[in-house]
Amino acid sequence: MKNPSEITKEFVEKGLSEKCPVIDTHTHFGPGTGIYFPKLTAEQMIDTMDRCGVKFMISAPHMALVDTDRGNMQTAELMAKYPDRFRGYWGVNPNYPDRIERDVARYEEFSGFVGFKFLSDYHKIAITDSRYAPVLEYANERKLPILMHTWGNSAFDGPALVERVAQKYPDVTILMGHSGFGQWDKSIQVARDCPGVYLELTAAYSVRGAIEAMVEGAGSEKITFGTDLPWFDPHYGIGCVLFARISEEDRHNILHRNAERLFGV
Amino acid sequence: MEFFDCNASYGVFSVPPNKRADTVDDLVNEMKWCGIQRAMVRHAAMVDESPIVGNPLLVKQIKDYANLEPSWAILPPQTRELGTVDQLISSMGENGVKALWAYPSEHKYLLNDTTFGELFEEMIARGIPLFVQRSIGSGGLQGWAVVESVLKDFPKLTMALVGHGSWGEDRYFRPMIERYENLYLDTSRYELDGGIADFCGTYGPDRMLFGTNFPNTPMGGPMLTLMHADISDDEKEAVAGGNLRRILAGVKL
Repeated sequence: MKNPSEITKEFVEKGLSEKCPVIDTHTHFGPGTGIYFPKLTAEQMIDTMDRCGVKFMISAPHMALVDTDRGNMQTAELMAKYPDRFRGYWGVNPNYPDRIERDVARYEEFSGFVGFKFLSDYHKIAITDSRYAPVLEYANERKLPILMHTWGNSAFDGPALVERVAQKYPDVTILMGHSGFGQWDKSIQVARDCPGVYLELTAAYSVRGAIEAMVEGAGSEKITFGTDLPWFDPHYGIGCVLFARISEEDRHNILHRNAERLFGV
Repeated sequence: MEFFDCNASYGVFSVPPNKRADTVDDLVNEMKWCGIQRAMVRHAAMVDESPIVGNPLLVKQIKDYANLEPSWAILPPQTRELGTVDQLISSMGENGVKALWAYPSEHKYLLNDTTFGELFEEMIARGIPLFVQRSIGSGGLQGWAVVESVLKDFPKLTMALVGHGSWGEDRYFRPMIERYENLYLDTSRYELDGGIADFCGTYGPDRMLFGTNFPNTPMGGPMLTLMHADISDDEKEAVAGGNLRRILAGVKL
């Protein structure tokens, strides 16, 4: 192996790194439609975290992206049970606008939530739609993060729409889940030009050269690590980061430092 | 542990990958960077120009690389572009080629008994594996449905599907793994958390081949995933390279 990275050598030898912990900013839990999960319980996910050196996860269960009433309570229970390993995104489903005001009102009832989660491609409502406004206004006032599923050229959450939302709500920290997959140049430009916008790596790491382009174009200070767990083995994404042609400082920024700063974990 | 990549390619593609790998050195340098020792490779020209061009070009370009194994793409024997079945097998022997790939939608043929019956029977007799990509299409079928249609007619054929989707395909392929004893998967996009351990725990380690999907996917992801999968060292050895070495060693040309 010619890769000289000390962090990489540590991961190769032990599967984790003492000096470079990982914070996963994009996870779920519980059964999901369309996939068989061998490991879906909280305890199984913690086993994965321990194997991979993942210190913390920010999570929204699959259910919280469908039935928010039941799903967000799952998150609250998870965080209460494992407060040293999980933080939560409050899931929002804009197809039930009658619940959104209530969701915002309830957000602060539970400790451990650190922001919101949008899944607009699946909900088929664009992030610029007025139904998201109560959440965006609330997050903007409190400078909270929102993890948005984003995909290249999507009419619901493409990077150009993210840019419009970021300009309207400049104090929201927007994590572009999947980094606007496929529309790399536009996503990088948005992350570079909008102070509150970050590129989140879930699935994007699997495109060769994408990480290097993001680091070069937006800076490693604007990238966070994520896996969609229980979908993807963290070692897959970590391996993509470790063997990218980037510096050791970039690896630290991506794998933990940026998330530590954004989420206070 | 020797990593022997079953799913790597290079060359000038019609639509290039996000980061290009135009030359064999681009591939070899990435293998060295990651610590991957061997690879079974194919050339872009085998798909995007023609196997008539790409097959010999590959052999010529990798002849000085002892750690690279050639593999070829097939065409219907009826057009004689690659010769008769006997001539193709003979040419494979002369060039050290022990595996074949099929691209039916790109090359406009049907991957079925009518077109390839004679070749598939010969491949079964000689233990020659047929590799296909997840994106395969034939006669209106796609992906796993193509694999099922071929293996229904040729259940003894050694067949491997590579690059199966990262978004969860166990419900597609596990029934076929149970029915067809010579069906293999590669690990290049098997990103499912706990997937390798769960699969090996159910079916053993002998049906899975290490792959990287280079140059589309970074080699480091599938490599680190297998290195630290929750399986024994012997099982890792089998997946990393032992299974592919066994398959290729069993080919009689």
